[in-house]
Amino acid sequence: MSLGTLGVIGLGLYLAGLAGIGEWARRSRRDATPADHYLAGRELGVFVLFLTLYATGYSGNSLLGYPGEAYRRGFSWIMSTGFMLAIVVVYHGLAPKLRPIAIAGGFVTPGDWIAHRFGRERAGRALQIAVAVLMVAALANFLFAQLKAMGLLAAQVTEGIVSYEVGVGLLAAVILAYETLGGMRAVAWTDAGQSLLMLLGLSALVAWLLTAAGGLSALTADILVSRPEAARVPEAAECANWASSIALMGLASMVYPQMIQRVYAARSGTTLARSFALMSFMPLLTTTTVTLIGLAAIPRFADLGDVQADRVMPLLLGTWAAADPHFAAAAVLVFLGALAAIMSTADSVLLSLGSLMAEDLLGRDHRAAETTLLGKRIAAAVMIAMAGLALVARNITLWGLIELKMELLIQCVPAFLIAIHTPRLRAGPVLAGLLVGTGIAVGVGLGLGLPRLAGVHTGLIGLVANAAVAWGGSWPRTRAGRVRTTCPTDR
Amino acid sequence: MRGMRGSGHRGVARRRLRRWLLAAIGVLYAASIPWYRESGAAPQVWLGLPGWVTVALGCYVAAAILNAIAWWLAEVSDGGRDEGR
Repeated sequence: MSLGTLGVIGLGLYLAGLAGIGEWARRSRRDATPADHYLAGRELGVFVLFLTLYATGYSGNSLLGYPGEAYRRGFSWIMSTGFMLAIVVVYHGLAPKLRPIAIAGGFVTPGDWIAHRFGRERAGRALQIAVAVLMVAALANFLFAQLKAMGLLAAQVTEGIVSYEVGVGLLAAVILAYETLGGMRAVAWTDAGQSLLMLLGLSALVAWLLTAAGGLSALTADILVSRPEAARVPEAAECANWASSIALMGLASMVYPQMIQRVYAARSGTTLARSFALMSFMPLLTTTTVTLIGLAAIPRFADLGDVQADRVMPLLLGTWAAADPHFAAAAVLVFLGALAAIMSTADSVLLSLGSLMAEDLLGRDHRAAETTLLGKRIAAAVMIAMAGLALVARNITLWGLIELKMELLIQCVPAFLIAIHTPRLRAGPVLAGLLVGTGIAVGVGLGLGLPRLAGVHTGLIGLVANAAVAWGGSWPRTRAGRVRTTCPTDR
Repeated sequence: MRGMRGSGHRGVARRRLRRWLLAAIGVLYAASIPWYRESGAAPQVWLGLPGWVTVALGCYVAAAILNAIAWWLAEVSDGGRDEGR
């Protein structure tokens, strides 16, 4: 049986399984409130929470973009293990303080924190909208990247029987269906299964690659021969970029709306802490593995362009499947694992987008069932728009999309991380800082075409200016700035 | 039971240990970046990888272990009484 036929069968079974979980989740729902739909009734236990955090954090970018980046940049891409771990480290600064406030206040979206912390100030609502706009822009970008990656993989695993265009449309429709039916329960449960599939697939692929290369030492020796610069000690600018990437990814990922919503959705604080403890090891198992996959491609494929480099993983899988007919089934498993990683991120992003737009942007009540319905409709509209965009804009690298998203998201950090530790911070200066930081990130990064200055991301430079404005403008302390880093008792 | 975890001398010791663990993670991060090595130099191979990569990976393994312990020690309350002060 050919890889394409096996791929179609595997894809069909996988999608049928997702639909089944969606229906199971629909039957398990308690009511139509946003808390039940978007946070699974705040009942996620350690196992499911850990797996959904994992599946949400590791996306199409991690599975397709990172091997491509390792292929392009060589061994210095080991930095990705560091920056993915930084996400779990940086959360020490936010989750233990945010969680009790969120539970007491019945928070559903990130904007509920802004409303709680700054809601009594004149600029509070404007800040909530500005944060929501940045988050929506970043998430829409992220969703677009996932859809693009899904289309690529579907076409690859079925050897073109399912085209890129059909793959994007079909998979987007399946995600929309199970998410609309089952909300966070469906997303978390499918994430759990998808995580296991992803881990299994990656382990199988890296085992084959290292065996085929003759071990790690032989792989390094091959790289030293075929592209010695990939193994050399990085230049100062690359080291600066390494440090900057750790700061950018760690801080920006902390304000991922879908991650913040999982902080709200945990069954208890202890459940949350245990899940983060387990998450500490996932960069070693996942990011290091995909880096090795990208490095293994260096001696195998010479001179892939930037866009082609995103296809390193599919190219390797194709080679693997062709090496022996028995490997074809294993290659399909890896393909489906990668697809699972992408879909699990896309569904979480979509769920967050619906709630953010309905509650934080449009200001609907976070306890009303009508808000859930509105969120579902918005999610459907966004999914259709992004799927359409994914069909026409294909020549953008996945890593480029991640960086753009992070540069925007990181500007929300003062409104969360600094505001939760600094009672004197006020809404007006935080809003001004956010605008200044975003202006620098977008103006210098996109306008002037300088995404990095001496290796440092412009988004990070924007954040420094952003924090300085927020901090400096909140001095001296005012009555309004003294309140609300405590738990709400009046909601 | 959970409410009692963070109280008293034991709770203070846990918080202090957690702060030390986080500081150690910061040091490991600084050591993981090969800024202190001669840039462009041909690598020595250690444990199958260029030496500077082995050091970076070793730092991340150690940081992951310390971070897991720090989360294990973390007191994440659901009570919500003046937690932000």
